[in-house]
Amino acid sequence: MYKHFTTDDQTLNKLRAQENITGISERLRGYGLVSHADNSYPAELLGVHPEMERTVTSLQNQLSEGAYLEPDDENGAVIGSGLAKKLGVKTGDELVFVTQAADGSIGNDLLMVRGIFRTGHSGHDNSLVLVSLPWLQRTMALPGQIHELTLAVDDPLQAAEYVPTVSALLPKGLETTDWGELLPEMREAIASFDVSRFIFVVILYFATGLGILNTIFMSVVERTQEFGVMMAVGLRPRQVNHLVLLESLFLGIIGAILGLILGLLISSYMSRVGIDLSTWITPVTYAGGTIQPRLKAIFETRNFIDPAILLLVVSLVAGFFPARRAAKLQPVEAIRED
Amino acid sequence: MSLIALRNMTKIYPSGNQHITAVDELNLFIKAGEFAVLAGPSGSGKTTVLNIIGALDRPTEGAVAVDQCDYSEMSKKELADFRLRRIGFIFQSYNLIPVLTAAENAEFTLMLQGVPAEERRKRIEAIFAELGIDGLENRRPGDLSGGQQQRVAIARAIAPEPAVILADEPTANLDSHTAEDLLDLMRKLNREKGVTFLFSSHDQLVISHAQRVVHLRDGRLESDTRQDA
Repeated sequence: MYKHFTTDDQTLNKLRAQENITGISERLRGYGLVSHADNSYPAELLGVHPEMERTVTSLQNQLSEGAYLEPDDENGAVIGSGLAKKLGVKTGDELVFVTQAADGSIGNDLLMVRGIFRTGHSGHDNSLVLVSLPWLQRTMALPGQIHELTLAVDDPLQAAEYVPTVSALLPKGLETTDWGELLPEMREAIASFDVSRFIFVVILYFATGLGILNTIFMSVVERTQEFGVMMAVGLRPRQVNHLVLLESLFLGIIGAILGLILGLLISSYMSRVGIDLSTWITPVTYAGGTIQPRLKAIFETRNFIDPAILLLVVSLVAGFFPARRAAKLQPVEAIRED
Repeated sequence: MSLIALRNMTKIYPSGNQHITAVDELNLFIKAGEFAVLAGPSGSGKTTVLNIIGALDRPTEGAVAVDQCDYSEMSKKELADFRLRRIGFIFQSYNLIPVLTAAENAEFTLMLQGVPAEERRKRIEAIFAELGIDGLENRRPGDLSGGQQQRVAIARAIAPEPAVILADEPTANLDSHTAEDLLDLMRKLNREKGVTFLFSSHDQLVISHAQRVVHLRDGRLESDTRQDA
């Protein structure tokens, strides 16, 4: 609690000027008791500038009741649904916060509940209270001080690579850590997910390739007589080879176009709405993160273009063997095939 | 000068541990403009001879020349080019490409030869009119009768103006009336345009229409007669 620091506009502006930094929030943390009527529970208070906090978290989108903090709201509070239930408070109720301030005194003040959030993360829902930064600084006797500067970056998976750059922009003596260091289990979970996804994708493309191979091969077998006639009237073996490869490519192009359209529609729906599984599953808190009971997709161009290009490559590779077989046909024998 | 020359041509097929002699030291010479038939019972070797003349198969021994071109040493690509420029085929089962229209089937060989689209269209229009199938250009083989399909096959064979047209049992799948019409048509093309036809058939109707009848038996020449047709 006693390791705190100050920032200035110059530092904040330097950070904001970084291309890969998408959000900055100054935070002060305080721990103490919150009370309402006869109920008291320990809580973690997070003092923030609401307009800055919006750029690094999405708590404002997870309100189950009331409204988010407003910038000029000095003693407003947004609290977790679990804590609200235990305290028996609803929007508009008063809370009393008691804590030991930084100077050793007892800090206490009144808060007004403006909203209640439900994240699914049991730790947050049962103990977190979001309050105004100036209010918490005053209550904790830490004027102008903060405990952390939270940054959001464009690609969270690359966050570790941004650490040296960010560190160089901050005053000396401050420690810069990425989320992977703070939540190593989550980092491992994502890494293992990437591996399992890679294996899944390899199997998927292999199966797709076999499917295309089977389709083209059957097409060649069924049209053996046709190829025989074409070769008899003068089509060269290499032209037969190219013909089958072209058919395979066209099949891939048609498949890719249909897949793109279908994928676009499904991904669009999944990114906006998703599939709600909350009837069967409750949110799972794991490794410092929360897995929501809703299947959702991230809408990214790469998710369409990469599979489409790979499908075309797979189509061509899968068409290679049937094309070779067709080119090696003997016209006399092929014409006799039924 | 013979258009087709077979000299001591032998064709032997391996069959398990044995060898079957399909054609045995055959000597046969066909002149340009002839309307000839290779006749004989099944297994007499007539289709084998036709396939070898058509560069679809190679002789085991002997020499074969069509239009003064010996193709015994040609590569597969050269054989394909040879067939494209010098040979026209008419098959027993018509063997049109089902996904192409009648006109597209007929101009397939012209397209392979690189004939421009406009010229192809004009030539096919004229041939279709001559063969009595004008108006059927845009129909697919599945929508045509057997006789109409075989006329399209004839159109495909004569379109590139080959040195010889080889017809393997061309009337076998047709009723006698349609078969006679087709034979008359091919005879007309032979007389008026000088197209050389060589058939393989055991059908008396075909044999009766031929100007020259070459009888084969067990791969050997049994008789070679000329008749008024």
